[in-house]
Amino acid sequence: MNKPLRVDLEMFEGPLDLLLFLIKRDELNIYDIPIAKITKDFLNYVEMAKELKLHSAGDFILMAATLMKIKARMLLPQEAEGDEEIEDPRTELMNMLLEYQRYKEAAAAFEQIERNERPHYYHIPLNWTPGEEDHTAILEDVKLYDIMLTFQYLLKNYEDPVTHNVAVEEVTLSEQAGFLNGLLQLQAKISFASLLEKFESRLVLVVTFLAILDMLRSQQVKVKQSKLFDDLLITRGKEFGNS
Amino acid sequence: MEIVDLKRIVEALLIASPEPLTETRFSACLSEEETHAPLQEIIAELQNDYDESGRAFSIKKVANGFQIVTKAEFEPYVKGLFSKAGRLRLSQAALETLAIVSYRQPVTKNDIEAIRGVSSDSSLRTLLDRKLLEIRGRDDGPGRALLYRTSTEFLQYFGLDTVKDLPKLREVEDILSEEQDELI
Repeated sequence: MNKPLRVDLEMFEGPLDLLLFLIKRDELNIYDIPIAKITKDFLNYVEMAKELKLHSAGDFILMAATLMKIKARMLLPQEAEGDEEIEDPRTELMNMLLEYQRYKEAAAAFEQIERNERPHYYHIPLNWTPGEEDHTAILEDVKLYDIMLTFQYLLKNYEDPVTHNVAVEEVTLSEQAGFLNGLLQLQAKISFASLLEKFESRLVLVVTFLAILDMLRSQQVKVKQSKLFDDLLITRGKEFGNS
Repeated sequence: MEIVDLKRIVEALLIASPEPLTETRFSACLSEEETHAPLQEIIAELQNDYDESGRAFSIKKVANGFQIVTKAEFEPYVKGLFSKAGRLRLSQAALETLAIVSYRQPVTKNDIEAIRGVSSDSSLRTLLDRKLLEIRGRDDGPGRALLYRTSTEFLQYFGLDTVKDLPKLREVEDILSEEQDELI
């Protein structure tokens, strides 16, 4: 009995990777992919994917549908309109495969470079951050992503107090921007953590956070952080007061 | 100022600098009166000294500057200083995603997924967490998708001076002609 070669689907990065594998394995011509054969083989794998509940099963099923569409189009007679050449229904797929192959090769090259570079340690390693207690060393270069992470982190630690109030909370972005503006007139810096304590509802907090982002964009405020997940310090920016 | 002194100044800066020492940073550290000797030459002299005296480290040109790195032979010892999690190798998915970003940046998640043919959320997340990628603005197109770029840490991680030092991406034509050769 011809036992099918068992291949672990997890080893493929996606449907394109699997198709490239099938093409290589059977030494198929990428210019002239035998679509019926490859569709059949591909579907066998997708069956396995369903059993495995692969997280990217959806991507595999989408590709299966694409393959069947191409197969159907190839069976239908096509008539050229005027001088237009009949486009091979497989062209788009072929281009996708070739494009993916380029980056797959590049990824292999990256892996090689990674392997060569790993034994070298930098005097100051990657992702270096100032020491725990060093509050004078402030990262001026806070990225939006860091701010979002911090917000998420702080919010997680913030419990919504239980209230039985059903009144509609009316809070606007400009109200909160005005509030921050006023606060910054009085004090040079605001700690974001202290704002958390001040507000009772998550909604007000979120709107305040959005107001900070908006003011950051228009350079009315600056945001500093001494390390990731640490408190955010809001200070006056270049355009402070010019709203 | 004599070259010996400049050499020692550069050495001090290399030791103290939290990021690659660039020409700009170097000259910013020197006072007005000091001759602005070319950093490149001083580095070469220093490297020569290190080679002759058999040090455990060397100077590497990375991310448009210079940094001190330990030599490969000491890896078995030096790695004991670091947590394993911080030095995990990148997964295949992360490498593919990183490759696409480095050659086509700035790119959106959609661009990446169109090429890989598979959802790339988790690899993007890993790469952002490891600071190899950063978000740089938004696309002008519909939905104003986030744009991803490689970071300075990316250059450091792969020991590159600039993104241009990456191996050239093979042209589709080359792949095709190779396929043809294989068939013949």
